[in-house]
Amino acid sequence: MSISNKKKVPSICPYCGVGCGIYLVVSENKIIKIEGDKSHPINGGKLCPKGYYGYEFIYDSARLTYPLIKKGNEFVPVSWTEALTYIAEKLKEIKQKFGPDAIALYSSSKIANEDNYLVQKFARAVIGTNNVDNCARLCHAPSTVGLMMTVGAGASTNSFLELSKYSDVIFIIGSNLTKCHPIIGYHVIKAKTRGAKLIVADPRLTEIAKKADIWLKVPPGYNIPLINSIIHVIIKENLIKKDFVNKYTTGFEDLAKIVEKYTPEYVESLTGIQRESIIKAAYIYGKAEAGAILYSMGITHFTHGTAAVIALVNLALITGNIGRAGTGIFPLRGHNNVQGNCDMGCLPNVLPGYLSINVKENRERFEKKWKVKLPATPGLKITEVLSAILKGQIKAWYIIGANPVMSFPNCDQVRDTLNKLDLLIVQDIFLTETARLADVVLPAACWAERDGTFTNTERRVQLIRKAIDPPGEAKPDWWILAKLAQKMGYEGMNYTHPQEIWDEVRNLLPEKFGGITYTRLEKEKGIIWPCPTEDHPGTPIFYQNGKFLTSSGKAKIYPVEFDVNLSLQETGIKKQNGKEIIIGSISEFPTKEYPFILTTGRRTYHFHTGTLTRKTHAFNRIWPWELVEINPEDAEKLGIEDRDFVKVFNKRGYMIARAWVTDRIPPGVIFTSFHYWESCCNELTNDLCDPLSGTPEYKITTVNIEKISAKEVKKFLEIKKEKYKTELEKITITKLISMIKKKRK
Amino acid sequence: MFNRFVIANPELCLGCYMCMVTCAQVHEEQGLQPFPRLFVVSTSVATMPIQCRHCEEPFCKEVCPVKAIEIKDQSVQLNEEICIGCAKCAFACPFGAIEIEKRIVDKGKEVKYKKVAVKCDLCYFRENGPACVEICPTGALKEIKNDEIEKLIELKRVTIKESKSKRRKKLETLNKTKRIANIKNVVKLFKKFK
Repeated sequence: MSISNKKKVPSICPYCGVGCGIYLVVSENKIIKIEGDKSHPINGGKLCPKGYYGYEFIYDSARLTYPLIKKGNEFVPVSWTEALTYIAEKLKEIKQKFGPDAIALYSSSKIANEDNYLVQKFARAVIGTNNVDNCARLCHAPSTVGLMMTVGAGASTNSFLELSKYSDVIFIIGSNLTKCHPIIGYHVIKAKTRGAKLIVADPRLTEIAKKADIWLKVPPGYNIPLINSIIHVIIKENLIKKDFVNKYTTGFEDLAKIVEKYTPEYVESLTGIQRESIIKAAYIYGKAEAGAILYSMGITHFTHGTAAVIALVNLALITGNIGRAGTGIFPLRGHNNVQGNCDMGCLPNVLPGYLSINVKENRERFEKKWKVKLPATPGLKITEVLSAILKGQIKAWYIIGANPVMSFPNCDQVRDTLNKLDLLIVQDIFLTETARLADVVLPAACWAERDGTFTNTERRVQLIRKAIDPPGEAKPDWWILAKLAQKMGYEGMNYTHPQEIWDEVRNLLPEKFGGITYTRLEKEKGIIWPCPTEDHPGTPIFYQNGKFLTSSGKAKIYPVEFDVNLSLQETGIKKQNGKEIIIGSISEFPTKEYPFILTTGRRTYHFHTGTLTRKTHAFNRIWPWELVEINPEDAEKLGIEDRDFVKVFNKRGYMIARAWVTDRIPPGVIFTSFHYWESCCNELTNDLCDPLSGTPEYKITTVNIEKISAKEVKKFLEIKKEKYKTELEKITITKLISMIKKKRK
Repeated sequence: MFNRFVIANPELCLGCYMCMVTCAQVHEEQGLQPFPRLFVVSTSVATMPIQCRHCEEPFCKEVCPVKAIEIKDQSVQLNEEICIGCAKCAFACPFGAIEIEKRIVDKGKEVKYKKVAVKCDLCYFRENGPACVEICPTGALKEIKNDEIEKLIELKRVTIKESKSKRRKKLETLNKTKRIANIKNVVKLFKKFK
């Protein structure tokens, strides 16, 4: 292979929300390697294992190459015309019979902005429903809701490049960032070597907790008392920025009243966190010149997720740590384009650019361009869709690049519910566990096979480019949606290239994306929105000089209360003495039957439901199975040794895995991930949702754990195989491969 | 001259497993056994990769019955071809740096496995030195070679000598201010949190 026929295509990593710059090294229409982009501001050429090696899935033999329609119990490969006509007719029929609100769409955070814009346009303009949502509902919806309520925009306030340059205190809560966002971890370590102080709150002794100046060992679910206590000390010690609070915020007095009772002593008795550490942490953060708050699922995955986000915003507001370099609040996003997905309006209550669907002017802005009347009532959240299916309200679900059969809480129930649908359409690059239940499966092109843009955690819009051709008849998501819209008889979605779609977005939302053109993106390494004009450099720091995006122009401080004795119905926004107050609680507590708390998360080497990373032999070779972390004390009591087979179970389901006995996890708590279908922790997780954002409580599930023998494991594995229909994938893929071979001849 | 070796700084290690995946990958490309030769270990004390220290008088070499392990090019090298997989070296190693893996012997109809020992070879086939050192995102891994150890030891002695008097002064003033501040804090705390 000579060097001359190699080319390097600049792109963005398709895994987490950091948005690292990469080069796809292509030779003879095949990606042979991925290199870090040394001139990229975020990663400077550095990458984590997923970014570097996680591209093997592109060439996996199980890639979908033809549209599939289920006939009987088997999938039959068909042409695009047949598949699209079939879907269009079915959708029309359902729309006519049950109305447009009987159809729901589930958008993906792995696909590009242009695709996401089309998904919601398809839902709103073609179908006529606001039932469109995305997987942010399962992760950062509390951030979107909480940040919109308080400061006005549901996005990270600063760029994380500032962490290593300006921040002198970094407060990390509920985030295992060296594992889940290693490159942000790298920025934090850089800040620490520069002398920045590090406060970490986490139940587990994670790598970043080990490096922290203070580790607050908060038990799962007790974030709000901890944050309130820090606020309490800051107010008592007079570390608040009075000028900032008086000038730019409202509602401080109510907060001061509520946090009165959260003394370090009280919180120590409630949570077991030492009062000295709370006081010390409050001093360090309160005295910071530039204090940044980083958080992720450890804050949001609770029935009080939004309340906890608001508590964090309160902390940043009273200390004036917002609107300057190195300060701010960073919700660390899990997917490459989950930020863009929300920006593009794949949410049931807002149009693109977070414009509320209830406001007439907002709808008119889009109606003019799309030439249709838009529905005004907010649609269903994805976590509400399931109960709507059971009630018979939803008849068809169009799922794009998502795997709810493994990623939803209490996922056995999801499988049963999906079977009740009249029409389930799944658009993906593999025949995922969910796709196996579908009536129609559409093969999509992956990120390296198409053009488009991704928006990362810090609102940076970046270009991805087509490097290779998709396999077989697989097509980019925007192409599929545009063709389907035409088949449904809508004329406003005829595009030939994603750039046309992006220009439409720019025209509709000039205040946010007006200046972000493809030509500029070609030259610059991403532009951070808002960027209204072409000579605008982008806005890494939001809310400079106290200009907040709320209706009053001031940031709103909500008092946040926490009471474990309250039921779910008693939490959320409540009125007390004429004032709004947000109340949080926990829904499950350990019992005799289920004495352990299961808390879930991600590991470095696999990603989410493993659809991509488990197709990569570099990862599979080293981590072929799931581990359940358990404290040595508990393990000894139960007679479990390291790497023994264990069964974790509760009333919802069970999982089998191997034990990892480690003192990094506190007694009474066990930790595992949802990367493996053989051991999917979501069969056990709690499906109760946050009343404000609809996000499930993944982080607290009460379970029991026992040791099992290898023989039993074999038996359980057979059951799981049957459940997840692994055989069906094998049969279908063999069919597709033989079809491709025939075509070549 | 001392043997070379790679060591990680736990202060910088993210535990991202980049070194481990890369290690398996580069060895596979070289036609060697496709397994990692270093192991990221997470404990409550620290997280860092553990790998061969390339001892001057390695136990593994002593116990190997077929002389598959030898000192070569300032490092301890294991010849996978003649290794019989008896696992003696793995037991002898005081660091847990040798792993016994299954290797595929016959790629015919029936796949057969045979045991084989794998250990860090400092990527002798690479021009730029060990791949793990090159790939680590935070630069936590470092190859110590030639007279670097002597220099390091020397440097430590010098800094200790120099800083001793300075440190004492620093400590005295620090202690004073700390104690005063402490008293103030304690008084404050008792007032406010009673």
